Amino acid sequence: MRYTRSAAVAISATAALALVTGCGSGGTSDAGSSGSGSSGEKVDLTLWLPTQEDSQKAGLETLVSDFEAANPDITVKYEERSVDDHKTALRQVAGTDAGPDIYWYWEGPGLGGELVNAGMSLDLTKYYDQYGWSDRFSDAALAGITQYGQHDGIPWTLQGEAIYYNKTLFAKAGITGTPTSYDELVADADKLVAAGITPIQFGGTVNWHVMRLLDSLIETECGSTVADALNTTQQGWDSEPCVTDAFTALKTWGEKYINQGFMGISNDDSSQLFYTGQAAMALEGTWFDANLTDNGVNPDDIGIFAFPTGTGRLYGFGEAYYVNATSKHPDEAAKFLDFITSTAEQQKVVGAWAAMSPNVDVAPATGNPLHELWPPIFKAATGLYINNDQNLSLDQTTEYWRIQNSVLTGDIAPADAGAEFQKFIDANS
Amino acid sequence: MTTTTPPVARRDARRADPPRPRAKRSPFVRALPYLVPAGLLYGYFLVYPMIDAVRLSFYDWSGFRTEPQVWVGLRNYVRAFTADPVFWTAFKNSLIWVVLSLAIPMMLSLLLALGLNRKLLGRNLFRSVFYLPAVFASITVAAMWRWIYNPTLGAVNQGLKAIGLESWTHQWLGDPKIALYSVFVAAIWQSVGFNMVLFLAGLQQVPVELVEAARIDGAHGLQIFRNVTLPALRPTFVVVVILTIINSLKVFDLVVGMTGGGPAQSTQVLALWSWTQSFQNHTFGQGSAVATVLLIISLALVVPYLAWALRGEDH
Repeated sequence: MRYTRSAAVAISATAALALVTGCGSGGTSDAGSSGSGSSGEKVDLTLWLPTQEDSQKAGLETLVSDFEAANPDITVKYEERSVDDHKTALRQVAGTDAGPDIYWYWEGPGLGGELVNAGMSLDLTKYYDQYGWSDRFSDAALAGITQYGQHDGIPWTLQGEAIYYNKTLFAKAGITGTPTSYDELVADADKLVAAGITPIQFGGTVNWHVMRLLDSLIETECGSTVADALNTTQQGWDSEPCVTDAFTALKTWGEKYINQGFMGISNDDSSQLFYTGQAAMALEGTWFDANLTDNGVNPDDIGIFAFPTGTGRLYGFGEAYYVNATSKHPDEAAKFLDFITSTAEQQKVVGAWAAMSPNVDVAPATGNPLHELWPPIFKAATGLYINNDQNLSLDQTTEYWRIQNSVLTGDIAPADAGAEFQKFIDANS
Repeated sequence: MTTTTPPVARRDARRADPPRPRAKRSPFVRALPYLVPAGLLYGYFLVYPMIDAVRLSFYDWSGFRTEPQVWVGLRNYVRAFTADPVFWTAFKNSLIWVVLSLAIPMMLSLLLALGLNRKLLGRNLFRSVFYLPAVFASITVAAMWRWIYNPTLGAVNQGLKAIGLESWTHQWLGDPKIALYSVFVAAIWQSVGFNMVLFLAGLQQVPVELVEAARIDGAHGLQIFRNVTLPALRPTFVVVVILTIINSLKVFDLVVGMTGGGPAQSTQVLALWSWTQSFQNHTFGQGSAVATVLLIISLALVVPYLAWALRGEDH
């Protein structure tokens, strides 16, 4: 009896200790790869990216299966998450062994730059030399890769953002052309309202959706030089009257031109209004070409024009694939990235993620009529202004969204918005 | 006649010393081997993270392993109380949630339990129907109610329009004045069933003979409830109140699923704001400071109440 009880005690304590030790070790295998990585042995690469639309998923499957066929020893597994969950997941695994080998991310300082500063991005300079990538991508695309002093990632898309509009609804409101100035845009919005049509749709619960409008209004009211200084917090938000003008314009849009109830719905819900012809405009990017056709919209019914800021710059950002600095298989990861950006593979999938391939030798996509509308828009642009959640730090972005939404709900007056934001920047500098 | 004594008995008979009494081990010592595994797990997964969160509240850290933790003393607390534009909103919303949780879903649960403790047709079906929402994960409840509140397609606004009350339609989750209460309605729907089950269990402990004696003495329903049922339900009330306070202070899933803390942080609560500061803003020191404040509030509410309740039971 005594022996049995002691044995039970010993077994229980040993099991508990093993469980605690196993849990506390931080994991002994990295989620990304298996195998030793030496040549000839099986290698699993993991790739993390945001949830893909149907045509994007099909394109990704093509790239992965072609790569695996050409490299039987390497398997590529990808994990998709919603935009915000994707950001959170990568931030949580930065610097640990739990991250993927390759991750897709936005290039701007507030997002991609944050992970670069955390040491998550592997410097790919040697692979640029090995594979000749500097000749494969345009200077504009490479600018986002080299902005942090090394080669972080490879360009995947250069996304332009502009206003998609429903031609039928515009005609119904008596609008015959596209606006070339901000005043004309507002006049067109008034015509749509008069015709009983919701001018533009946004989903307010995902703060970055309405943020696109605010960013464009800041560019419009402040001009490119002041906007850049504000967006990089080199100039005080309480020092420029144009900031009040931008927030005042935002409040007007919220009251008169945006879909009713937008503050309580997501962008997925609000986009349905555009897909079903219940809203005339959407401020989206080149990825939206595929979204529209995947949701059954006739592309011939849709037109695109750049937000008429008056500065000549196009709203947009770059997206890249990065190699995790903690990856145990950087060579294989670089091999995969070289493969998927090659001319042969890009020709198969061009148009799935953006109208134009990052590879300069690949012609723009032709399958979707909307893709053909983008080259002239890019050509006419004198530069790019990027989304502010890629300019500002994380806590500044949270506060920027709070003030943006507070102006829309009436809790903060437009005249106080700039000062409120600057107070936060100063308190946390 | 000769009796033969077995050898063992003869040997025992030659022993003069009486057997020593075995030392009696205390119940706690006897239970220790069974407590140690659970204790280790509890310590590692609950106590250690709690202590580490309090420790981290005195540091500035981005959360990235590649960056060091920098000692800042009380700065995170000073910032939370004086310069954080969201903290006091989250604090106020958390307290509102506690008060409303004690006032509304708890009382509804009690009323439902009293009603479903009687013999009536379909009683078990009703009990199941009211309990069912408690089975759903909070994030599922959030997704359901987000659609119910959808301003154009949701059941609430569509129903109001259908009965001619279009003027009553609202941005239930988009209006900062009412969004918190809209989320709270979903919380009532989810939580009423669980407390109802606790009260039903407590009502089975009410002595039937006391109730009958009170009836014979001429007491009516309310008098029986106040003088017989309520005192018998006291232990159940203690459990329900403590669970309600704790669950309402740590509300997270419903808010993050329905509003994300918006619009404009108007539905932010302390648990979610702590998470936002740590995992979205990557200011782990500030997030831990908010979490520590939440811990102190929880202890300040629960411990005195528990002490008072236990003292009452002793009496």
